[in-house]
Amino acid sequence: MLPLSLLKTAQSHPMLVELKNGETYNGHLVSCDSWMNINLRDVICTSKDGDRFWRMPECFIRGSTIKYLRIPDEVIDMVKEDAQAKSRNRAEMNKNRGGNSSQNQNQRAPRSGNRNSFGIRSGPSGGGLGNGGMRAGNSGQGNRPPMQGNKLRK
Amino acid sequence: MDDLNPLAGTAHLLEEVDKKLMVLLRDGRTLIGYLRSVDQFANLVLQRTIERIHVGNQYGDIPRGVFIIRGENVVLLGEIDRDKEQKLPLKEISVDEILDAQRREQEQRQEKHRLVSKALKERGLAVNADIINEDFC
Repeated sequence: MLPLSLLKTAQSHPMLVELKNGETYNGHLVSCDSWMNINLRDVICTSKDGDRFWRMPECFIRGSTIKYLRIPDEVIDMVKEDAQAKSRNRAEMNKNRGGNSSQNQNQRAPRSGNRNSFGIRSGPSGGGLGNGGMRAGNSGQGNRPPMQGNKLRK
Repeated sequence: MDDLNPLAGTAHLLEEVDKKLMVLLRDGRTLIGYLRSVDQFANLVLQRTIERIHVGNQYGDIPRGVFIIRGENVVLLGEIDRDKEQKLPLKEISVDEILDAQRREQEQRQEKHRLVSKALKERGLAVNADIINEDFC
């Protein structure tokens, strides 16, 4: 879960944004983008020394001026639940895909035996599309989910 | 195995993920928390973060929760050695006490700065306070 994805997950949650100049903005996150530009609503701005306050119904903050954002603890827990749900879905999808692809392989194996060792990879021209699709499924199954799993676990 | 690793030979933070880190910000603040995520800009996500304020050989911790730190504000970060953490040569005091100590230190620094400026001014060396960045004092 990248920092900016976490920020997106925190949408509609209250947060504190401190700018590089020391001003802080407390408000609810409305939206954010990949530059970390953000929209807040129901904002209280506090001056650097903390002795002056301004209320504003909404504000936009340019990402490049931000020092850090503090978000509620539960947002990270939401991410963890999301990740678990996603990996469950992925596991189920892979189970289905795995069944299909092994069937396909079984169908192809005898044919490729008649051709050459590349037969499995390139396939007959008519079956190219299906084969390509199957390979994509295989590579997805073989590589991607475990890697993503690692990232998420980290 | 290293040859297969696309990040071999590149500086990266992935190995620090989930470790307890100390992060020093450009404004001089020290944060300590568990690194949960990083990206290509070295934006960081810290969980269970505390802000540690040092004054002399005393320190105080303020619980702060989850941080998303914009990478450009980070000076350095490093893993906390659990063993060494147990026997710090520093004394922990309460948040109120450390904030008080910090305020006094700040006032002393300002007073010193005022005297230096005055002395320089008397010698015809006017220092423009605006061009001195407080961060580097």
